[in-house]
Amino acid sequence: MKKILTIAACLALGAGHVMAQETFPRNGVYDERSGLVALTNATIHTDYKTTISNATLLIRNGKVEAVGTGVKVPAGAVTIDAKGKHIYPGLVDMFTGYGMPEVKSERGGWGSPPQMESKKQGAYSWNQAIKPETNAVELFKVDKKQAEEMRKLGFGTVLAVHRDGIARGTATLVTLADNKRENEVVVLDKAAGALSFDKGSSTQDYPNSLMGSIALLRQTYLDAQWNTQNPSREQNISLTAFTAANKYPQIFEVDSKLDILRADKVGDEFGKQYIIKGGGDEYQMIKEIKASNAPIILSLNFPDAYNVEDPFDARRVPLEAMKHWEMAPANAALLNKAGVTIAFTASDLKDKKDFLPNLRKAIQYGLSEEEALKALTATPAKLLNADSKVGSLNKGMLANFIVTSGNLFAADNIILENWVQGSQYKISEVPSDYRGVYTLKMPQQPDRKLMISGTAERPELKVIGKDTVSGKITFNGNLVTLSFNKDKKSKESIRLSGWLQDKNLQGEGQLPDASTVKWTATFSEAMSQKAKSDSTKVAKAPQLGNIIYPFRAYGQNELPKQETILIKNATVWTNEKEGKLENADVLIKNGKIAKVGKNLTENGAKIVDGTGKHVTPGIIDEHSHIALNGVNEGTQSVTAEVRMADVVNSDDINIYRQLAGGVTTSQLLHGSANPIGGQSAIIKLRWGKSPEELMVENADGFIKFALGENVKQSNRNNANIRFPQSRMGVEQVFVDAFQRAKEYEQSWKTYNSLSKREKSKTPAPRRDLELDALVEILNDKRFITCHSYVQSEINMLMQVADEMGFKVNTFTHILEGYKVADKMKERGIGGSTFSDWWAYKMEVKDAIPQNAGLMNQLGVVTAINSDDAEMARRLNQEAAKSVKYAGVSEEDALKMVTLNPAKLLHLDDRMGSIKAGKDADVVLWNDNPLSIYAKPLKTFVDGIAYYDLERDEQMREELEKERMRLIQAMLNAKTGGARTQAPAMRRASVVHCEDVEHNEEESYFAH
Amino acid sequence: MKIHKRYISAFVALMLSVPVFAQVPAAAPKQSKPVLLKGATLHIGNGQVVENAAVGFDKGKITYAGPQSGANLSGYEVVDVTGQHIYPGLIHPNSNLGLNEIESVRATIDWREVGDLNPHVRSVIAYNTDSDIIPTIRTNGVLMTQVTPVGGTIAGSSSVVQLDAWNWEDAIVKADEGIHLNWPNMLIATGNSAYDARLGRMREQRETALTELATLFRDAAVYKAGKHDNENLKLAATAGLFDGSKKLYIHTNFGKEIIESVNFAKKHGVKEIVVVGARDAVSVADFLKANNVAVIYSGVHALPSRAEEDVDMPYKTPYLLHKAGVQFALDYDLSIHGIRNLPFIAGTAAAYGLDKEQALASVSLNTAKILGIDKQAGSVEVGKDATIVVSSGDLLDMRTNNVTHAFIQGRKIDLNNKQKYLYEKFDNKYKQEKKAPASATTSAGN
Repeated sequence: MKKILTIAACLALGAGHVMAQETFPRNGVYDERSGLVALTNATIHTDYKTTISNATLLIRNGKVEAVGTGVKVPAGAVTIDAKGKHIYPGLVDMFTGYGMPEVKSERGGWGSPPQMESKKQGAYSWNQAIKPETNAVELFKVDKKQAEEMRKLGFGTVLAVHRDGIARGTATLVTLADNKRENEVVVLDKAAGALSFDKGSSTQDYPNSLMGSIALLRQTYLDAQWNTQNPSREQNISLTAFTAANKYPQIFEVDSKLDILRADKVGDEFGKQYIIKGGGDEYQMIKEIKASNAPIILSLNFPDAYNVEDPFDARRVPLEAMKHWEMAPANAALLNKAGVTIAFTASDLKDKKDFLPNLRKAIQYGLSEEEALKALTATPAKLLNADSKVGSLNKGMLANFIVTSGNLFAADNIILENWVQGSQYKISEVPSDYRGVYTLKMPQQPDRKLMISGTAERPELKVIGKDTVSGKITFNGNLVTLSFNKDKKSKESIRLSGWLQDKNLQGEGQLPDASTVKWTATFSEAMSQKAKSDSTKVAKAPQLGNIIYPFRAYGQNELPKQETILIKNATVWTNEKEGKLENADVLIKNGKIAKVGKNLTENGAKIVDGTGKHVTPGIIDEHSHIALNGVNEGTQSVTAEVRMADVVNSDDINIYRQLAGGVTTSQLLHGSANPIGGQSAIIKLRWGKSPEELMVENADGFIKFALGENVKQSNRNNANIRFPQSRMGVEQVFVDAFQRAKEYEQSWKTYNSLSKREKSKTPAPRRDLELDALVEILNDKRFITCHSYVQSEINMLMQVADEMGFKVNTFTHILEGYKVADKMKERGIGGSTFSDWWAYKMEVKDAIPQNAGLMNQLGVVTAINSDDAEMARRLNQEAAKSVKYAGVSEEDALKMVTLNPAKLLHLDDRMGSIKAGKDADVVLWNDNPLSIYAKPLKTFVDGIAYYDLERDEQMREELEKERMRLIQAMLNAKTGGARTQAPAMRRASVVHCEDVEHNEEESYFAH
Repeated sequence: MKIHKRYISAFVALMLSVPVFAQVPAAAPKQSKPVLLKGATLHIGNGQVVENAAVGFDKGKITYAGPQSGANLSGYEVVDVTGQHIYPGLIHPNSNLGLNEIESVRATIDWREVGDLNPHVRSVIAYNTDSDIIPTIRTNGVLMTQVTPVGGTIAGSSSVVQLDAWNWEDAIVKADEGIHLNWPNMLIATGNSAYDARLGRMREQRETALTELATLFRDAAVYKAGKHDNENLKLAATAGLFDGSKKLYIHTNFGKEIIESVNFAKKHGVKEIVVVGARDAVSVADFLKANNVAVIYSGVHALPSRAEEDVDMPYKTPYLLHKAGVQFALDYDLSIHGIRNLPFIAGTAAAYGLDKEQALASVSLNTAKILGIDKQAGSVEVGKDATIVVSSGDLLDMRTNNVTHAFIQGRKIDLNNKQKYLYEKFDNKYKQEKKAPASATTSAGN
C-alpha cells in the first residue's frame, strides 16, 4: 500500500464562498467570488460508464458549468492543467453518521428495575425507540475531522443518518465541504427515512427482543395510518412525523441476511420497498436476497484472518467464520452478478483507510470497475433521488469531483484532490521520482555510485565505492539529504545536503573529519521498469470454497432431493388401526407416503432394505425453542402481537442435530415470561432451506400462554413491579385481556356493518395487533398452548376460558396434569408434558413420571415434548419412559411423540402416522425406536432424506478437509503479513422457555 | 408389576383414612438371614456375564456369585429371579444429591460456600437422607453417590454415601475422600472490544487465583511434617492430596485446560488426579493415559460443544475414551432429579460403540475404582458389599429397566417413592370416580 503525502488544507482556490449565505449579514466587505475554474486536458469520467479523454471540466459557483472536449474556457477562469490525470464524480456514501451526535445508551444493567413507560417528555410515541420526529438535518453539525477523513477516501457527499432507535426519522444528504456553514452544505434536508430493529438508546423495556421490535414497527405503521385518518383523537408528534418520513426513500439498517428478509417482509406488508444496509453476509442467501428486490448498502468491512496456529484454539473458530473470512470480499461481486442493486458505505470500517484497498479487493474478487464506480456514485444518488445533483458530472450538478493520478481502482493510484462544491481540497501530491543511478563526486574522495531504489515516496540508498554501504536519503520538495558511512568497517558518517538541479543533485556536506565539501551527483540511468513494477504487483483472485446451505457446519452445496423410495421388509409402526406391521414395505413418492403393505413394488424406486429395522412417522416436538433468534418478549404481561415466525433462524445447527434424532416437525414457542406470550411458528426441519420454506404450509395459528412462577417473576431479583406478581393477578390479566378483545371485536363489527357513506364519515377503530391475536382465539382461528404446572392455576384458566368463551388447545409442561386429567378430558384439552422432569423449582415438586401415562389413560391427547435442544434428539427415549413408569403400551408411547403432537397441532390429517396420502415424514431406525440402542439411519421430510447416517459420515470428512484448507489459507495469509484476530467462539445459548431474556451472549471462556 | 400396583393401591386406600406423610420410606433393617438370588443373568460389573447364575449374600457381604449350579443353597432364603438380570448397584459420582431439594429455593440449597479456597468444607454433613428425591433415584438402580460441593476454586471435600440411611453418618461409605478443584477458565481475546477491555483485569484475577492455589498446595505438602502452634484447617484438609489418601478432582472441560491443570497438580506433588467434566477428553486422551489420569465424563446426554463436532460426539465419547485406554466413569450432571437416568447414560454409550458390559462398568466398577471404593463396592464379587440390583430387563435401556429388587449392604430396600405414591393416589381417585360416576363431575372440588 502506498504511503503518500497527504495535505489537509482546503485551498481557497476560486470557491471560497460560492453558494453565498444570502441571509447572513457580513462583518466587513462582501467577498463573493464566482469560483470559475477550468480543469483541462484531463481524462474525465463524467459518470460510471462514460469516459472522455483530453477533456475540460468547467465549474462556476460550486456547480458544473460544462464538461467535454469542446469546452471553451471563458476569460477570467482559473485554468488548471490536469494533463495525465483522471477526474471522477465525487463518491457518495449513503449510510454515515457524519456530523451526528454520539448515541449513548443509559440502559440499566442486568437486574435493574423494569421501565414500563417512556421517559421522553412531550407529546411523543409511547415507546422511546420510536423517534421518527428526529430530523438529522436539525442535529447535523459540520465536522472537520470526519469530513477530512471521508474526503481522503474520495467521498464528496454523504447521507447523515442518526443511527438511534427503531424509527429514526429522516436522514439528510450533505456534502463534505467543511469551510462552509451547515446552511450551505445540506444538499437535501430530508433525503431518506431511517429504520432499524435496534432500539438504540431507549431505556424502556419494550421491546427486548427482535420479534418485539418487528411487532412495534408494524404497530407503528398502523398507528400512523390511524392517526392520519383520525387527526383529532390523539396529538402524537411521533406518529405525524412517521407518516411524514414515509414519503422519502426508506433505509433500513440490519446486520444479517436473515434480518434483511425480516425487514423486507415488514416492508411488503406496508407497501414499502426498503433500501437495506446489510451485514455483509448476503451472498449466503443470494436467492432470497434477490427476491426481496431490496437494494443493499454494503460495507467493505472484511474480517481479518483468524490466528489458527494453535490447533486447540483453532477449533474454536466456527466453520462459517472461516468461510466468511474467505468469501466476504466476494459478496459485492456475487450480489451484482445476481442482479441485486448495490451501493457501498465506509461506515462500518474500524480503520477508514481500509476502504480503498478493500474496494480493490472486491474488484479483484470479481466486481467490475464500472459496477464498483456505479455503486459509489450513480446508484446511491439515484436511490436518494439526488441524481440530478450528485453522482455524475453533468451541467448544473454540484462540482463534487476527485482528481486522481490514474485509474481510481488501480493499486498505485493516488487521489490528488477532492473538490467539494467547487472547493478544492488537496489530498496528496505525487512524490517526485528520483530513483536511479548517480555518480557522486567529492574533492579528495574517490568517486562513488549512488543507487537510489525503493519506492518513489520511500527511496532507499546504496553507496558503491571501495565498499558497498547502505545509507539514508530523504527528499523534501526539491531538497535532498543523504548520509552514509565512509566504508564498511567505519562508523564515521558522511553527511550531505543539497538540491535538485535538472536531473542531477548537488550541494554541500560534511566529512567525518568535520571538513566541509561541495558535492555533485550526476544522473546516469533511471531505475529499471522491472524494479518499479515489482512494487505494484496485482494479486490474483483466489479460489473460493463452495457456498453451502445453510452457511455453516453440515450445510451442503447441493441440498438432498426428493426421491421415490421403497423401504422393504421393515417393522412399520403405522400408528393406525393396523398397528405395528412386521415385514412390511413403505413406498415414498412425490413427498408423500404412497403405499403401505407387503410385497410392494415400484418401477424406478430406490430400494432401502429395512430388514431388522423399524419405520416410524417422524417425531413431532410440540414444545421447542430451536431455530429462533430470541424466545421471549418478556417485558409486558401481554405480548400477543409478537410472532415467532418473524425470527425463525434457519441456520441453527440444532435443526440438523434433531434430524439426526428423528425429529421432522417442531412447534417453536414463545417463552413463558408473560401470561400471554407470542404467536408460535410450526416448522419442518428442512435443513438448508430459508425460514419461509421451513414453515409448515397452511398450519393453524397457535399462541403461547403461561402460568405460574415465570409469569409472576418469582425467581427473579429486582423485578417485582410488573403486574402480575401472584397467581391471583394472572387470572385478572386473562380476564382483562379477553374483555378488551371482545370490546375491540365489537367496535370493528359495528364499524364494518356501516354503509359505505356512513363509513366515510366514521373513523375506523384503531387496529391493535395484540387484540387481533386475541380475537382470533375467541373465533377459533388461533389456538392456545399454555405453559402450566400446578392444578390451581390450570383449573383457573379452564374456568376463565369457559367464562370468556375461548378454548385452551393444549396445556404444555402440565406436570400436574394427572391431578386434573378428568377436567381436561371433559373439555377436550390436550397435554404435552416432560417424561420425568421435576424438583427443579417449587411448582414442580409434585411432578411425576407417570403423568403422561395417567393423562393418556384418562383419554387426554398426550404428547411428550422436549423444551430442550438436546432432549429433543432423544424424544423417542423420553416416550419410552411412559412404558417404564406407567405401563403404557409401546405403540401408545410412540404416539406421544408422533401422532398425538400432530393432533395437538391440528396436523394429524397429514402427519403423525404411516398412512398412504400423508406427508412422507418418516424415520428409519436400526432398532426398536423406544430403545436406548435405537438410532435413526435416515430421516425423511417430504420424502427428502435430510438426514442420512452414511452421508453424515461423509460430510464429517468433507467438513474437516474444508477446515484444513481454510486453516492453511489463514496461516499463509498471516505469513504474508495479513492482520489476524484471536480465535473467538460464539456459543449460541440453548434456550428453554425458562430463559426470560432474549439472550444470545457470546461465551468468552475457553470452552 | 400389575400385582405390585394393586398391592400399593390397596395399601394407599387403607392409608388414606389416616394422615399419610410417609413419602420417604424407612431405611431397611440389617440383613437378618442369608439370601440367595437364583436363575438370573449376572452382570458382574467387570465386563463378565454369567448366565443362569446365583448370587448369595450374608451379613451384608457377598458370599457367592457364579453359576447357579455351583451354589450351595443350604441356610439361604432363596429368591427365584429366573429370567431377570442382576447388576451391581450403580454409583453416581460428582452429584449434589441430598444437598438440595428444590433448585429455585435458596433455603433448600446447601452445595456452595463463600470464599475461593474451601478444602476443609465437608459436603457430607449437609447430605439430607430425608430428601424426597433420593428414593426416586434408587428406583432405577442407582444405589450410591459421591456427594460433591460446588463453587469457588476449591469447593470442598466430597464423600461417598449409600442411598438408604437414617442419617448421613449411617450413609457414609467413604468420608472426605477427595477435594474438588474448579480450574479457573483460560481467558482469550475475542476481538469484542467491550470484553477485551476487561480481559486484562480478568487475567490478573486468574493469575492471583492460581498463585493462591499454588501457595496452598506448597504449604499443605509440608504441613504434616512440621509442628504447628496453630492448627490450620485448610492446610490440614489439603495435606492428604500429597500422600495419596485424598484424590484431587479437577473440574475442567477444555483440552488445553485439562493439560494445564493436570500438569499443575503433578508439579505440586498431587498423587491421585481425576478430571471431572472433561468434555474435550478425547482430544487429550494420550496425555491422560500417559499420566495415568482418570476421567469422570459428564454429559453424555449433551449437545456437542461446537457445531463442527460430530453430531453424536458426546454419545460416543465414552467409547472413544475406552478405545484410547483412558480410565473413565460416567456421571449425569444435568440435574439432580435426573440422576436416575444414569443407567441410560451408560445405555447411550453402549448404543454408540461401547460394549454393554463395559458401559455397565462405567457406572459401577470403574466408578468404584476412581472413587477408591472398589474393595467393597462396584461389582458383584465375593467379599464385597451386597449392594445389588435386580431388573426384569436390561437395566441400561429405559424400555426394559424395571428394578424388582435392590439391596444395599444386604439390606432389602423399599423401592417406593413419593412419585409412586402420588400416582397411586390419583389413579385411585379416578378409579373410585369411575365406579361412582355421580361424584366424578362435581365442579371446583379442589
